Amino acid sequence: MVIDQIPENTLLRLAVEDLLFQEADLLDQWRLDEWLALYTADAHYYVPPSDVDGDTADPDTALFYIADDHIRMSERVIRLKKVGAHSEHPRSKVRHLVSNVRAHREGDVIHARSSFVVWRSKDITSDAFVGHYLHQIVQADGVLKIAKKTCVLDMEALRPHARISIIL
Amino acid sequence: MADFPQIIDDKPTSRFLVPREAFTSNVTFERECAAIFDRCWLYLGHASELEPGAFLTRKVARRPILFTREKDGTFHAMFNACPHRGALVCRERKGSARAFMCMYHGWTFGSDGHLMTLPGSSGYPEGFKTDPQKQLVHVPRMERFGDFFFISFAHDGEDLATYLAEAGDYLTLVSEHSASGMQIVGGTQEYAIRGNWKLLAENSFDGYHAACNHSTYLEYLKNANGALGATPLVGNAHDLGNGHAMVEYTAPWGRPIAHWVPLWGEEGKVEIAAIHNALQQRVGPERAERIAHKNRNMVIFPNLVVNDIMAVTVRTFYPTAPDYMEINAWALAPREESEWLRKYRLYNFTEFLGPGGFATPDDVEAIEKCQQGYATGGDALFNDISKGMNRDGGPLFDDEEQMRCFWREWDKRLAAVEA
Repeated sequence: MVIDQIPENTLLRLAVEDLLFQEADLLDQWRLDEWLALYTADAHYYVPPSDVDGDTADPDTALFYIADDHIRMSERVIRLKKVGAHSEHPRSKVRHLVSNVRAHREGDVIHARSSFVVWRSKDITSDAFVGHYLHQIVQADGVLKIAKKTCVLDMEALRPHARISIIL
Repeated sequence: MADFPQIIDDKPTSRFLVPREAFTSNVTFERECAAIFDRCWLYLGHASELEPGAFLTRKVARRPILFTREKDGTFHAMFNACPHRGALVCRERKGSARAFMCMYHGWTFGSDGHLMTLPGSSGYPEGFKTDPQKQLVHVPRMERFGDFFFISFAHDGEDLATYLAEAGDYLTLVSEHSASGMQIVGGTQEYAIRGNWKLLAENSFDGYHAACNHSTYLEYLKNANGALGATPLVGNAHDLGNGHAMVEYTAPWGRPIAHWVPLWGEEGKVEIAAIHNALQQRVGPERAERIAHKNRNMVIFPNLVVNDIMAVTVRTFYPTAPDYMEINAWALAPREESEWLRKYRLYNFTEFLGPGGFATPDDVEAIEKCQQGYATGGDALFNDISKGMNRDGGPLFDDEEQMRCFWREWDKRLAAVEA
């Protein structure tokens, strides 16, 4: 089979994958300021709990694990850089695996859906967070930026994990 | 000489020591199950979690429980195991059902636990279906205090209100946040800690650790809303009887009922003022002052935490081993709360509390590091819980009297059972 033209949707997926892989890489390297710069100034970062439908749950009406607006995302980064963020001092080893990326456009917003496994390892602990990401991505000044990221855990509970002290 | 690691409680010399073996010993853990978890009133759930006709399943002290509410409103707490072969009858977390069918052989039970039908009933003698032994077994005792439901696995013992002692009034106080009743907000934080359960009981009302352990949270508050310092962290510890205790104090964070902070803006100021006025009308100025401006961290022995702080959290936890516990935490809120305030309440909650908050992960770190530290053994045999033991004017919120109340009850109960 000869492909003489790459479908537009495939190009879109490649562009989105580049962004998601970059995000994963920055988080694995603890380059948190650069991670934050991937986001729009009105971005949100969410981790819903396991007993609600994470794809549709609303952080304004249901209790989440994480419901950050951009102010709190910035504060999260500030906090994680301090020695006083005891849970992450010394820092965990972190590895984000992102796969099965799918993307489509709705108006000006690119909706991406992908699978993740995030490993956090530190002294006696090595925990895997398994789930899927829902990214909303917009084009701003010629680059793609993340406007919203929801990390839906495909887990029955956050056990034996005790915390989401890293960024998923 | 008792055959379990006893505390040393000596007021004249200001000595209060807890043996570290209490956190590590399997023998002590089994003894706790018999002396505490099989004897005390344990939190099951909140009335708002069940509409008529609804059910939920939950583990309480390692035992699977089916909590139902009949169409007529009657609540039931039953052991979730089929009387036939013992399989879990209900395998869903929550929902609405008139009947529960065991998937193994099809025995089917009503929401009150009675055996409705069983396939192949001709194989059984007459009267089999109504035999009390063939029904779902109800938990020996279930009682409610307001909308809080508790169960006990002991057939005898004091009633719930007597057991709660003065802690009952604080459950009432938290219910008085609302004119129309409090509700559990959807979404449960379900996590675990690799540490002994008593470390979380201590941590849940430990006022002493905030400044060091949560320095980054306090710095965040200062950064985010400029309110830190406006209201100082000041307060006292209170013994509520029967091992229950709490700390009550003022604090720099905002409270949806009803302590405004600049982060909430001028519009929020108007709404909070209206809530404060209504509260004063309803419960009187003195009680309104406490509800609005005082924070309370309370532990109802052995394992129910009701923290009425920047949001209200209801939290319970159970050990499955000396060095591991499972935790469930919920947010409690007034039913009539506006969308705006509910949003801020949840924003407040997730800011501090839970596995993704700016504080709880560091509590977890402290608890897990204590558990790891106990492996040193050797000559380091005791934890010190003596802070403020003989302070003039009584213990402060950042002393350790509240923990001593917990430990005295623990010690008394363990001494009372045969090993």
